[in-house]
Amino acid sequence: MSFFETYGDRLITAIQVHLCYVLTSVTIGFVVALILGILLSRIPQYAKIIMPILSIFQTIPGIVFIGVLFLYLGMIPATVIIALAVYAIFPVLKNTYTGLLDVKPEYIEAAKGCGMSPLQTLFEVELPLASPSIITGLRMSTIYTVSWAVLAAMIGLGGLGEFIYIGIASNNNELILAGAIPSAIMAIILSLLIDVLGRFIIPKGLRGAK
Amino acid sequence: MIRFENVKKKFGDTVVLNNISFNIEPGEFIVLIGPSGCGKTTTLKSINRLITPEEGKIFVNGQDISKANPVKLRRKIGYVIQQIGLFPNMTIEQNIGLVPKRLKYSKSEIKKITKDLMEMVDMSYDEYAHKYPTELSGGQQQRIGVLRALAASPPIVLMDEPFGALDPMTRATLQEEIVRLQKKLKKTIVFVTHDMNEALDLADKIIFMEHGEIVQMATPDEMLANPANDLIRDFMRKSSATSDPSNLTAADFMRTNAISVYKKRSIRECTDLMARQHIDSLLIKNDDDTYVGIITIKDVRKHGKSSGSIGEIIPNENITSDAGENAKDAFDKLYNSGDNYVVVLNNDKTIAGIISKTSMATAMADTLWGDMQ
Repeated sequence: MSFFETYGDRLITAIQVHLCYVLTSVTIGFVVALILGILLSRIPQYAKIIMPILSIFQTIPGIVFIGVLFLYLGMIPATVIIALAVYAIFPVLKNTYTGLLDVKPEYIEAAKGCGMSPLQTLFEVELPLASPSIITGLRMSTIYTVSWAVLAAMIGLGGLGEFIYIGIASNNNELILAGAIPSAIMAIILSLLIDVLGRFIIPKGLRGAK
Repeated sequence: MIRFENVKKKFGDTVVLNNISFNIEPGEFIVLIGPSGCGKTTTLKSINRLITPEEGKIFVNGQDISKANPVKLRRKIGYVIQQIGLFPNMTIEQNIGLVPKRLKYSKSEIKKITKDLMEMVDMSYDEYAHKYPTELSGGQQQRIGVLRALAASPPIVLMDEPFGALDPMTRATLQEEIVRLQKKLKKTIVFVTHDMNEALDLADKIIFMEHGEIVQMATPDEMLANPANDLIRDFMRKSSATSDPSNLTAADFMRTNAISVYKKRSIRECTDLMARQHIDSLLIKNDDDTYVGIITIKDVRKHGKSSGSIGEIIPNENITSDAGENAKDAFDKLYNSGDNYVVVLNNDKTIAGIISKTSMATAMADTLWGDMQ
């Protein structure tokens, strides 16, 4: 019996679950990060203190975080999604924040001088100019999350990690690869999709300049 | 139109505006000038509330602006900055239409305004309106920067050293354009510069500032005739020296971007450099930066081999001139020698620049233009 006949169905389910985890948590993480990034960029004097503290959280191993969350929330998908979303926040947050801070002051002054309100300046000038950096953050976040989502299997919640864990436990290389290869391909495809997204979001006028 | 009454502004402990009062009539072209740190930019930015003074009152159109909504106020005042500040994420049309869009003009109106304004500065709407700022030259960008300030036909336009970053030729063209636009559109313009020539050419009235105070507010003629103090006299003298052709020196006309190499550089490197820069000759200098001579690509070919240093080739004895030499004498040399350029040397024999036939022609055109005006 071939590998796919035995594991095919389970593999497809695992891919779907994995993708589901990634998409949900990256979406949540992205929205939270974007809002936080914008807020922090309005108060750079405090952000200088807040950002390093947030980056400490980044250094807590995912396995510990998921484990702790599991103790409080139990074996539900929300545990995985919350944990992954928290990790997805940081790359986007950092890139949103620096992207916004890197907008040259002359553009902000010109926007003010043209009678744009602070909100208009943010949405029509600052965010578009920071968009290349934000998209880069989103790409990093997504790629990381694809690999971190493997940890879901650790608390028995499926995804491609299941194959990897069983493979390691039973010393079965085929199973390890069956988990690893699809997640690698997923990371590549998602990253390409984000490039396409970037084409729509990053203003045309910025591409010639870089 | 614009009135300052005892306006004071401090940044920390430094007083930047010390009891400023003046009045600007509608349709006047006012130039604020003075040494750096004199408060001219602060004065300008107080008018559209980018800076808020601590004391005193500013009236625009009879209204005390401290009681106005700053966003609405700025939509009625055009603003041009030195760094141009066109938004790179917007097309030229979107940039020009920025303020009209805020004021809820219709799309077709915005298009018409953009078209008319671009026509006024001889830029084709079809060719440029849908381009992005980075696709335009610096001069074209600042033209658009000026048009953006004019788009919602504000009665007042503020300009903060708008032509400071442009090369002299482009600056001259834009200066002419702004004078023409102002005559036609009858705007009240407040213009900051540190270039007295620019002030004398453009202004109806010049406000000369120093240490946060107004030293003199007068028409250019009056200021030329009766400068209020030595500093103003000094500013005037510097600018009038360069506008009198008989006082010009070689240094005023030379190009300073001539490419020079040390004589120990290898011939190979030098030929590569010439190819990259699309030039056929290089200035050669000693280790202490003093001038040796000129080597052309022909000399290199005659020399035959590409190994060794460029110093091995005997350079041409090109004519030279001192930086302080009268420009006319330098031109005579150039004209009579048959060489393509004169190398201008500093007192210590280091290379200051070169004068080519092109820079000579440019200089003459400038003088002629000045006479015609």
